[in-house]
Amino acid sequence: MLSTGMWVEKYRPQKLSEIVNQTEIIGSLEELIKNPADMPHLLFSGSAGVGKTTAALCLARQVLGENVKDYTLELNASDERGIGMVREKVKKFTRFAGMADAPFKLIILDEADEMTNDAQTALRRIIEDTAKFCRFILIANNISKIIDPIQSRCATFKFTSVPEEDVIARLAEITKKEKVKADKKGLKEIYDYSEGDLRHAINLLQATASLGEVSQENVKASAGLAKTSDVDLVLKMALDGKITDAREKMIELIKVYGMSESDFLKYLNSSVFKSKHEHLSKILEVIAKYDYRILVGANPEIQLSALLAELGNIE
Amino acid sequence: MWSEKYRPQNISDMVGNEESRSSIMEWFAKWKKGTKPLLLIGPPGIGKTTIAYLVAKQFGYDLIGLNASDVRSKSRINEILAPVLGNTTILGTPMIFVDEVDGIHGRGDYGGAEALIQILKDPTVPIVLAANSDVSDKMKSIKKVVKIISFKPIPPRLLRVYLENILKKENATLSPGSLIKVIDKSRGDIRSMINLTQSLVTGFNPQTEKSFETINVEDGINAFFKANSVEEARGVLYAMQIDPRQKIDAFYSSIITSNLDKNTLAKYLEIISRSDILFGKIMKTQNWRLLRYLNETLIELYQNDDRIRYSKYNLSWPLLNRIRWDGRKIKSLSSLMAHKLHLSSSSFSTIGLPFVLFCIKNKKLELELEETFGEIIEKEMELIK
Repeated sequence: MLSTGMWVEKYRPQKLSEIVNQTEIIGSLEELIKNPADMPHLLFSGSAGVGKTTAALCLARQVLGENVKDYTLELNASDERGIGMVREKVKKFTRFAGMADAPFKLIILDEADEMTNDAQTALRRIIEDTAKFCRFILIANNISKIIDPIQSRCATFKFTSVPEEDVIARLAEITKKEKVKADKKGLKEIYDYSEGDLRHAINLLQATASLGEVSQENVKASAGLAKTSDVDLVLKMALDGKITDAREKMIELIKVYGMSESDFLKYLNSSVFKSKHEHLSKILEVIAKYDYRILVGANPEIQLSALLAELGNIE
Repeated sequence: MWSEKYRPQNISDMVGNEESRSSIMEWFAKWKKGTKPLLLIGPPGIGKTTIAYLVAKQFGYDLIGLNASDVRSKSRINEILAPVLGNTTILGTPMIFVDEVDGIHGRGDYGGAEALIQILKDPTVPIVLAANSDVSDKMKSIKKVVKIISFKPIPPRLLRVYLENILKKENATLSPGSLIKVIDKSRGDIRSMINLTQSLVTGFNPQTEKSFETINVEDGINAFFKANSVEEARGVLYAMQIDPRQKIDAFYSSIITSNLDKNTLAKYLEIISRSDILFGKIMKTQNWRLLRYLNETLIELYQNDDRIRYSKYNLSWPLLNRIRWDGRKIKSLSSLMAHKLHLSSSSFSTIGLPFVLFCIKNKKLELELEETFGEIIEKEMELIK
């Protein structure tokens, strides 16, 4: 079974109290669920891999007990582009009868900041219309992209990135349970690559461990696996003026691997910062221009191709 | 522009829709405070706007015009209309004309349509609305509070009389074959008929049967970059009467695959990018009249450049095949696994899949998946360095 095969799932905390770091948030959440009927809608914000989704899943399990499967709907806004799909799924989900012992039905909407303003406005209505028997947990990387009316309907929790010692301690705990040899330098190297993203760290740990021991050398060998490295490559090729190659690589990422355009731009942004290029601000200006154009344009592929071509002309 | 030059100056100059026009006159003649507003419904280019302006003139009203872009937010509506609806003495005798009312969109502020309906329910001045269609939900609620007058496309025989009259005044001629085609093509839209005639008569190409026959995409793109002058290129562009999306994409594909130097490529793609933005805005706002600016953006691409040849595809064959075959399988694999790992498909294939494949390759992980995924997993594993 996959869920036990992948360490990120195998070692995903099952209870709020097991979550690494985030002690204040966990404390408040545990208070809130003592009286589930009074629980407000929740909005979790914070960077990737710090425990937002895990907290939502733990909370669901603790409040809904054995009904958790039937009474939780998990959606990812990045997959369900249109609000129509969300509305249909939420409607269907809220419609089925039988309120066993559960205080409410729970809808976890991940990457909610990927929704357009229009979709969020519609979501606000859905939240209102179903408030009697549903609670929402919205999860977002960037809270400023969530419209105010939704923010005001939710209790907001800001997750902070996990400090180095906590990441390393967690990784060490896993290597011990998996009986994998790991040295300090190797674990430190993993932390440096993952930048406080615990999910990335654990994935990298597992990949490294598949080579044998977790040493600095093996970490380096596995670190470039993620497709974000391909985005680094696209940036490099574009800046070198190899527009055709850069474009084909980018289209491969988006159309073969299904990377979303907004994810591509997100990774491209961090690639730029990592590159420490001498024309950093010029590059970012060009990216910003086309990021906006994608929002108003009709065909993202055209906009992204034009972006790469313009990057190739920065001197 | 002939279509403006020959916009009728009197109601009697108009053609077609006699009954609808006389109903409007009657409504104006009998208007008093509280009379239900009018909604004129009909296809573009048949005189809805014209008659509103002419009737206002004839009955001595000061017409306050709004179009869909003004009617988007409640505050904007009230800002424009409050002085009109309140103290009328300052402004003479005003009336309100809201054009393209079906263009009011759910975007931005829902208050727009509601604010308008509030005003429609209790009119203190004559209000006339015009729309191309009345099928949207928004129109349903508007329809409840207005009197509807429908306009039909103008019949060909009237178009012919009208057109011949204009040609005579302009001292221009059109071959009988072209005349019929122009009339047929306009489908009862006077404005488009006049525009098309003007482009033919004052066109840069000698007037032939071919000059407004539609050119297919391939010939169009090739002729565009072979043209000897910008006027000729413009003629080609206008003759490519295809879906605007298709037009933009055809230029995009052809430019991408024509082996241009990076400076030229960037310059061209910037123009294509702006055309795409224009099209995106049209789609989002449904303001199709903005389409008239599309060709003028694309014309910036013109230069006599014999490197550019039409191409339907803009990707290499191996990549096209990979998208078609592998892409589909990876997509279904990703959405299956993403769900189990509580990630979006995009995140899974970026930060999950590569690690999973690596572990499988090193024989440290086994997935229990349907056999159909075996092949793609093998293939993707091979690609890992």
